[in-house]
Amino acid sequence: MSDAFLELHGVTLRYGRSIAVDALDLSVGAGELVALLGPSGCGKTTTMRAVAGLLKPTSGQIRIGGQDVTRVPPNKRDVGLMFQSYALFPHLSVFENVAFGLRLRRLGEAEIAERAAAALASVGLAGTEGRLPRELSGGQQQRVALARALVVRPRLLLLDEPLSNLDARLRLEMRTEIARLQRELGLPMIYVTHDQVEALALAHRIIVMRGGRIEQDGAPAEIYERPRNAFVARFVGFETILPATSLPGAPRGATAAFGWRPHHVQVGAGPYEGRVLGASYLGEAVEYLIESDFGPIKAEAPADLPRHGPGDPVRFDLPLSRAVALEAEPAPGGA
Amino acid sequence: MIAAPRLRGLLLMAPAGAFVALAFLLPLAILLSGSFQAEDGQLGVQRYVQFFADPLNREVFLRTLRIGFLVTLASVILGYVAALAIVDLDPGSRGRVIGLVTLPIMISPVARTYAWIVLLGRTGLVNSVAHEFGFTDAPLRLLYTEPAVFLGLLQLLLPLIILPLVSALENVPRDAVPAARMLGAGWWTIFVRILLPLSREGLGVGGVLVFTGAITAYITPAMLGGAKVLMLETLLYQRVNVTDDIATATVITALLVAMSVVAKALLNRIARGRPLGRGRAR
Repeated sequence: MSDAFLELHGVTLRYGRSIAVDALDLSVGAGELVALLGPSGCGKTTTMRAVAGLLKPTSGQIRIGGQDVTRVPPNKRDVGLMFQSYALFPHLSVFENVAFGLRLRRLGEAEIAERAAAALASVGLAGTEGRLPRELSGGQQQRVALARALVVRPRLLLLDEPLSNLDARLRLEMRTEIARLQRELGLPMIYVTHDQVEALALAHRIIVMRGGRIEQDGAPAEIYERPRNAFVARFVGFETILPATSLPGAPRGATAAFGWRPHHVQVGAGPYEGRVLGASYLGEAVEYLIESDFGPIKAEAPADLPRHGPGDPVRFDLPLSRAVALEAEPAPGGA
Repeated sequence: MIAAPRLRGLLLMAPAGAFVALAFLLPLAILLSGSFQAEDGQLGVQRYVQFFADPLNREVFLRTLRIGFLVTLASVILGYVAALAIVDLDPGSRGRVIGLVTLPIMISPVARTYAWIVLLGRTGLVNSVAHEFGFTDAPLRLLYTEPAVFLGLLQLLLPLIILPLVSALENVPRDAVPAARMLGAGWWTIFVRILLPLSREGLGVGGVLVFTGAITAYITPAMLGGAKVLMLETLLYQRVNVTDDIATATVITALLVAMSVVAKALLNRIARGRPLGRGRAR
């Protein structure tokens, strides 16, 4: 992408002998919201901290707005970061937390008051200025952290698992809020998460990471519907993944494996035989764990079909028409 | 019903409270009231006036203040540097380093002070090295000087501020410093606006321990300062044991208590986090 606002070229971070981020190339366009998705230890947070300047790459280059910032300290990068732990200053009032960055920019008292108040209002927290962070709920603290990061008008905002400490309802609310602010401000953002639902709902583009490398980079629908390999597929809900060689009649070629979501597996009829290990009623559907020659298979069938209990023999099918074809995975960890 | 737990709390505190009252507060009150009583039994500050009329006493008083202040200042600076470095370590090495910090406390002050004499004496290590390399013609007088007392006290008291600072800094939220960095703060701003206010309790406790320790230490000023560098504590000992001047002794004791109280109040005030504002942001 030529109009990239943020570019990482061959960024590597090494701790002793282990590699947290491995020659990563990545770009974020102006106004784009990119999610870094992956399990813990995949290097997503390390990548984000390198962009922030809190960690120094062992090698490689980071450019923001066309300028090489690889050696620029974090306080000179003009990048905002919202921490998973909120990281509010416990001894300062809500107002002083939000005003902190403004004061460092030597603005007048009137402008500071005005901008801090506006930032708090924009996250629905007008009137809490005089309180201390510990007097607020987790969701409110989260909003203060967001207001504090946005009020200094950074040119790039990084969000580190911003919703992981919130309950389900607040999570949805905050997600909507972040999406709205992003739209209104046109601010490029990197959103670090291990939750595919958040990434799918928010991001313009998702980058799935593992072992410090990018596994797949694409639009949410592309990641969700056409995961490239078994790792990405498993991450977005393809619970059953079988090597192509183990399936009779499967086409050969570039396809190394096939993947099915639980509801793609047909239960009650089909060429294969197995035994029910467990059945959980989910309301609309029943989830089965089936023991078979392929190994354990996770399946989901509408609840109005005949049910099967644990220990029952059951026939099933893994229809190739519904399967996603997966490439071979790169050897993990190498280099 | 609400009063019951409070009553129980008071009862539980009673034995310790009674001990402190009888064994400490009461004698202190008697001592202090004695210092405000002139020889003819009249109440007043006459004894203090007499004490400060003597130039030697004035000199000793000011020296005690000066050394107390400098030792506290130096130990606050060195203590913060050490504590910040210790907090930055992984938990395993942190324990080991804290063990090393506390090690000197376990060694007899007399032995430690003799070590300084060995280093600083006329034929001590410092003088022999300086002479050997031709820096000096005659041995320097290092012992029985204020710097010698300062060094001895600093070494003696430094652990007492490192430990409270470490435990205070350990409680600073993990991401508070990177968060301030991201908002544009440099290291000095982070120290003044974030770390200092969040560790003020440790600074208060440690600072008072060091200052009080410095002005009331006896062995170190006696051995490294001797009669040439008297401090209030060594003067007190002289007055009681050599000249049997109990009146002056009570005044000195009262002064030491007052200095500690004032130091505590000042340290608490200095350590209190000022709000960022008032046009002094940096």
